[in-house]
Amino acid sequence: MKAFANLLESHLMTFAGRIAEQKHLQAVRDGLILAMPLLIIGSIFLILGNLPIPGYNEWMTGLFGREWSTKLQYPVGATFDIMALIASFGIAYRLAEKYKVDPLAAAAISVASFLLATPYETMFTPPGAKEAIEVGGVIPTALMGSKGLFVAMLLALLSTEIYRMIIQKNIVIKLPDSVPPAVSRSFVALIPAFAVLTVVWLLRIGIENTSFESVHNIVAQLLSGPLNALGGSLFGILIAVLVQQMLWSTGIHGASLVGAVMGPTWLTLLDQNRIAFQAGQEPPNVVTSEFVEILINTGGSGATLALVVLMLFRARSQQAKNLGKLSIGAGIFNINEPVLFGMPIVMNPMMIVPFILAPVAMVLVSYFAMSTGLVAKSVGANLPWTTPILVSGFLMTGGKISGAVLQLVNFFVALAIYYPFFRIWDKQKLKEEEGVMTEHEGASGKTVNL
Amino acid sequence: MNILLCCAAGMSTSLLVTKMEKAAEEMGVDARIWAVSADEVKQNLDHADVLLVGPQIRYKLPQLKKEAEMKGVPVDMINPSDYGMVNGKKVLEHALRMKK
Repeated sequence: MKAFANLLESHLMTFAGRIAEQKHLQAVRDGLILAMPLLIIGSIFLILGNLPIPGYNEWMTGLFGREWSTKLQYPVGATFDIMALIASFGIAYRLAEKYKVDPLAAAAISVASFLLATPYETMFTPPGAKEAIEVGGVIPTALMGSKGLFVAMLLALLSTEIYRMIIQKNIVIKLPDSVPPAVSRSFVALIPAFAVLTVVWLLRIGIENTSFESVHNIVAQLLSGPLNALGGSLFGILIAVLVQQMLWSTGIHGASLVGAVMGPTWLTLLDQNRIAFQAGQEPPNVVTSEFVEILINTGGSGATLALVVLMLFRARSQQAKNLGKLSIGAGIFNINEPVLFGMPIVMNPMMIVPFILAPVAMVLVSYFAMSTGLVAKSVGANLPWTTPILVSGFLMTGGKISGAVLQLVNFFVALAIYYPFFRIWDKQKLKEEEGVMTEHEGASGKTVNL
Repeated sequence: MNILLCCAAGMSTSLLVTKMEKAAEEMGVDARIWAVSADEVKQNLDHADVLLVGPQIRYKLPQLKKEAEMKGVPVDMINPSDYGMVNGKKVLEHALRMKK
């Protein structure tokens, strides 16, 4: 058993290490993080503009006039609708940093190549007209948001790769030493930027001559479409949660690794919901980044809040009581390392069973509750993952009670699954403690000092 | 003594910071202790005497070691059970031993 555990651990470690050290994956994840604070702020305005409270609309109209709701959408657009633009900057910046080349120049070149791949046209229906006409000379906001996310990602990686190769081969304009460094630095980026933009330009021209018409269409049809379909399916989410739990079972931060791979897909799905919600339509996707963070990882990966509550109220052993008290504060904000390593769940064959079963059961419950319309879907608000239970469920559904109720149901599902395993563990600890007490007449050899 | 802790987001290590500060006070150790996410380690290394890594990101240990050792900062993983029990005293003692 021990040999097997060691084998598993060493393999998982290599796997985790590879994902974590994979430069491009890391850059994508870190680059997307740049957009997160903006999306959270945008979400606040999104929720404020659409609270389903009776009388809210009239009250706000009375205070701010009839246009109040439209005005609240300005910050939503300025954050969600430039997600890809920010990602294009952030991803290139982070990747260039890893290659130790000028990140600011790489980021600027990346934004330019993203825009170069984007047609400056949009369809517009003038008031009173029946047919939409094509308008030029605009940057289409749709493609600057989640719809352009994959193009932005790919071009950020491509442009930064070209940029750093040319810089590292030292094919740059060198000015004499007498020129101020600030001036000569701006010349250094000239040749690589020219190369990058030429490549993207040729790419665009080439694609314009095919039936795809634009880079965006190719990526949508060949890449982001299939990826979103898979990542948004019940199968996809189950696999993601299983991998997350299995990694955590050996003490590796599963959520961070799974998030690195699934982040762009889940974010796109989230934003599709936001766009539908703002247009007054039913959000299309059950699975979004919030589905995992808010509905499944309640109290942290493995929905351990239920387990902590059991420790707090049902424990008989001193260790379980102490651990419950120690973990509840952080657990409310979905941080659960104390339980994972303190109980421990990590590398503990018995506790790993409910640790995997509980979130899987919660995925099934939540998926069916949402896909049958019993519970409202996420409206696309991006909440911090530290938002406590009930509040987060209420907010993710745009202020619907059903979101909070589903969280409560999920909580009890997890509680029921953890309960028998918790009892066995608690009993075992109690026995150990009593044994220690009689052997050493009260010396607290095995109880934990906090 | 400047002790830098890191984990995925710097959240759970920040729990430990509070407990370690308390332990330091009790032991009469003058220490500055702070927690950051693994990505922010590089910018924080200049002010650190030791770096302690949360066990859940121990797969990053080789990379972090390389970065820290370039600056002469010793690196180690926090003992998982001390981490879980948020045992500030034990982790602080570990950090003090690393400095020597």
